[in-house]
Amino acid sequence: MVRQIINLVLLLSCFSVNAQKYLAKDGVISFFSEAPMEDITAINNKVSAVYDKDTKQLVFQLDIKDFIFPKALMQEHFNENYLESDLYPRSTFTGEVISQRLGNTIVEGNLKIHGKTNKIKVDGILKKENNTVNISAKFIVKLEDYDVEIPTIVMYKIAEEIEIEVNIELKKVK
Amino acid sequence: MRKIVFISFLLFSFFANAQDDLLNMLEENDESIYISYLFKGTKVVNGQSVKLPAKGVLQFNIQHRFGTLNSGLYNLYGLDFSQVRLSFDYGIKDWLMVGVGRSSSLKTIDGNSKVRITRQIKDGFPFTIVANSSVYLKQWKYTESQKENFLLANKLSYVNQFLIARKINRNLTIQLTPTMVHYNLVEIKDEVNDKYAIGLGGRQKLTKRISLNAEYFYQLNDKQNNNVLSLGFDVETGGHVFQLHLSNSPAMIDSEFITKTTGEWLKGDIYFGFNISRVFTFNK
Repeated sequence: MVRQIINLVLLLSCFSVNAQKYLAKDGVISFFSEAPMEDITAINNKVSAVYDKDTKQLVFQLDIKDFIFPKALMQEHFNENYLESDLYPRSTFTGEVISQRLGNTIVEGNLKIHGKTNKIKVDGILKKENNTVNISAKFIVKLEDYDVEIPTIVMYKIAEEIEIEVNIELKKVK
Repeated sequence: MRKIVFISFLLFSFFANAQDDLLNMLEENDESIYISYLFKGTKVVNGQSVKLPAKGVLQFNIQHRFGTLNSGLYNLYGLDFSQVRLSFDYGIKDWLMVGVGRSSSLKTIDGNSKVRITRQIKDGFPFTIVANSSVYLKQWKYTESQKENFLLANKLSYVNQFLIARKINRNLTIQLTPTMVHYNLVEIKDEVNDKYAIGLGGRQKLTKRISLNAEYFYQLNDKQNNNVLSLGFDVETGGHVFQLHLSNSPAMIDSEFITKTTGEWLKGDIYFGFNISRVFTFNK
């Protein structure tokens, strides 16, 4: 009898672990880069993410080819020459919330772009509501940290720093 | 038995905590990944490539061909002669484009349309296949064409072809181009109106932004002239693509260079030329 109860408790705790997870498949990550000829922007609205409320762990994942640019040629160069999405199709972030104070949340973890991983620390907002968690953040990424080459002959020079904006609503996993 | 159940639950809840497991939650059954960017330009060298301008993109091309390299210093090795073709290509859909152009040689106006039938898929369908259909109106005036009963239709010729390409690796793409050329009016009495040819072309990227292209059309029937061999060098600089060419034909339209090439590489009848293309984007 006792064992059965223990088993039941474990079973329930197992479910409760799952119940503390929040998931998104249609998050939005966009980036912006100021360039002399024309600014470069792109948006990816197929970002998937999971947040585990218990362990405070947070992961993002996106496909590089899902970034949509206003100009097809920019998109081609982005995929072909800069991010080489045929070799490195995905970008991921795995990290955890290290502090939460007055609505300001600090997340630390590993960001992998172009096959290269760097540790980053990002200030953002993580808002919990009944069945959702909203995550938003803005941060700067240096292209050289991720071995993204900037050629010298291109007409529109690319800025060496790119501003990245994250906006994701995660829903509770049932 | 109970112990096993016990332990498995225990393990289960441990596993659920790992970060990798969170990432695994995001794994989906992979949708088919299309292979993109087989060529930098909409042409391999002179002939069409499987690349179409993207939807809402207008591409403006300025093409120049000079005289033969063996025409001597007096003609600055051909640079004194020049002919030009101006053209616009527009992407209606990602899989459908239309183009118009005009060549100074024989004052030819041309129109073409490319339709992408299927795309190469990673670990799936091996080829990107595009159908190209072109029509040419030769406006050149000569005695015969000035006669009253000379039909407009006599000035027309057509090219229909399938462009079958495969990106073999990230740098090398090969394209096979079965082609049919139809002339409403032929030049010699016994010449056939329908000519068949097969093109073989490709591009090898040398760096991220520079590629070497080559193209050869082999005539299958009623060969009156030489086969055309062209080499190209594409340099991409942001919004522009510069293409430098060497070919034994000075023509820039398929109905001329596939069957009417007179130059011979080995004799030095090599024409230098270049294209510049610029894209304008119109979608919102």
